[in-house]
Amino acid sequence: MRVEIHADRCIGSGVCVLLAPEVFDQRDDDGVVVLLDEHPDARHHESAHDAATRCPALVIEIHDEG
Amino acid sequence: MTAVSEHQAGALPPLPLPGEQKCPFGPPPEYEDLRAGQPVIRVSCPTGVDAWLVSRYADVRQVLGDPELFSNRAGVAAHILLGFGGGTDVPVSEGEFPRMDGAEHLRFRRHMAPEVSNIKRINQLRPLVQGIVDRQLDALAATTQPVDLYADFARPVTTAVIAELLDVPEADQPLFKRAAESLSAGGSSATDVAAALQPLFEYLYMTVVTRRAAPGEDVISRMIVRSDQTDQPFTDMELVTMAAALLIAGYDTTASLISHGVLALLEHPQELERLREDPSLAGTATEELVRYLGVGGGLLREVTQDTEIAGQPVKAGDYVVVAVQSANRDGALYADGDRLDVGRTSGAHLGFGHGPHQCVGQQLARLELTTVLATLPRRIPSLRLAVPFDEIRFKVNSSVLGPVAVPVAWDEIVPALESGA
Ligand code: SF4
Repeated sequence: MRVEIHADRCIGSGVCVLLAPEVFDQRDDDGVVVLLDEHPDARHHESAHDAATRCPALVIEIHDEG
Repeated sequence: MTAVSEHQAGALPPLPLPGEQKCPFGPPPEYEDLRAGQPVIRVSCPTGVDAWLVSRYADVRQVLGDPELFSNRAGVAAHILLGFGGGTDVPVSEGEFPRMDGAEHLRFRRHMAPEVSNIKRINQLRPLVQGIVDRQLDALAATTQPVDLYADFARPVTTAVIAELLDVPEADQPLFKRAAESLSAGGSSATDVAAALQPLFEYLYMTVVTRRAAPGEDVISRMIVRSDQTDQPFTDMELVTMAAALLIAGYDTTASLISHGVLALLEHPQELERLREDPSLAGTATEELVRYLGVGGGLLREVTQDTEIAGQPVKAGDYVVVAVQSANRDGALYADGDRLDVGRTSGAHLGFGHGPHQCVGQQLARLELTTVLATLPRRIPSLRLAVPFDEIRFKVNSSVLGPVAVPVAWDEIVPALESGA
């Protein structure tokens, strides 16, 4: 799995960090997403997918064969 | 599906609105048929606005997720509240970020995010919220029953949290109460709302000026200090509107969600029992209640370019109302969407909205509701309604859903856990 983010659209909702804290973090000064792990471990795939679906601003893109 | 022409506007069916006892927790029953056969129809809304009503999950998600085609300019509740935004003709006032789109709107969201939606910050607030919930339950133990779960528990908890975060003393709170009540009441005119907001804005303006001179550790001070470090610092008025938004949302919306949610659990005793036995379900229970109860009157958007929703052509300038409650019960999301299940694993429900305007206070609301749900069933195992359910009144003609009052009684309130004190 490869995770890609389009941070220019991010509203800093924290939804991704709540769901997949191993994969995403947020900057302190504006809450914008930080990708911690572009190729997360298999055990975080489900939560990364969940974050991509639930991100309100459609920032997160998952490439399954990455 | 047939496109309805503007000539028939006078004969449009009304926007279905949550009724009192008919649907105290869910969408009006009409929505089931609308989702099945008429997923996009013309309706007339209480403020006189005619709009396309969208009721299926996939379509609601598409509209909310595409802010370039579906703008917020008209104000999200202008179809049900006269005093709210008031349509596209009314200019956006300084700092009125809920009616902004694109980069302009992003600037405000990213300024508030570190205070209310950064998860590290939310986690730091956990002990504060736990302490407030526990102290309020201790206070209840010392009062005469029955008590109103809304006025005597939910509202004191949410007010204490926001008062603590913004460092606004308890004494100023009637100001917030008036402003919040006027903003969410369908009967308020734009003039009523302006009159109720004026004293609050004056108070917050003075607060901004004072704290600019001598900043503290509170959210308002921190927003002032961070503003000076940005490319486009915020004006005093813009800071005032952000503080007002947090205060008003923190004051009543979350309190109504708590009392509405606990009432729904009291009406689903098996679900309440599951929570009592396993407080670790509080997280999924919170999501489930937000899905099950969320956003009664729907959200308003304005079409920016001719396009289609589920095959129905819509034109630039048309209004669209997305029925969030209906979408959250759509069989396309969950086969058994009308069932309340506190153990349901997360799904992409739309109870906090979707898209860039998704609820700015959602993480704070989650923290507060989760803390209540992990604590209340354990500390008051015998919690019960003190009146028959039929006697519970619900807010009507309001943008904030929920019961007017929830009289409750109990046998005993168990002491707080050590760690939560
Ligand atoms: S969920 Fe989306 S909008 Fe929210 S912080 Fe993560 S990337 Fe940004």
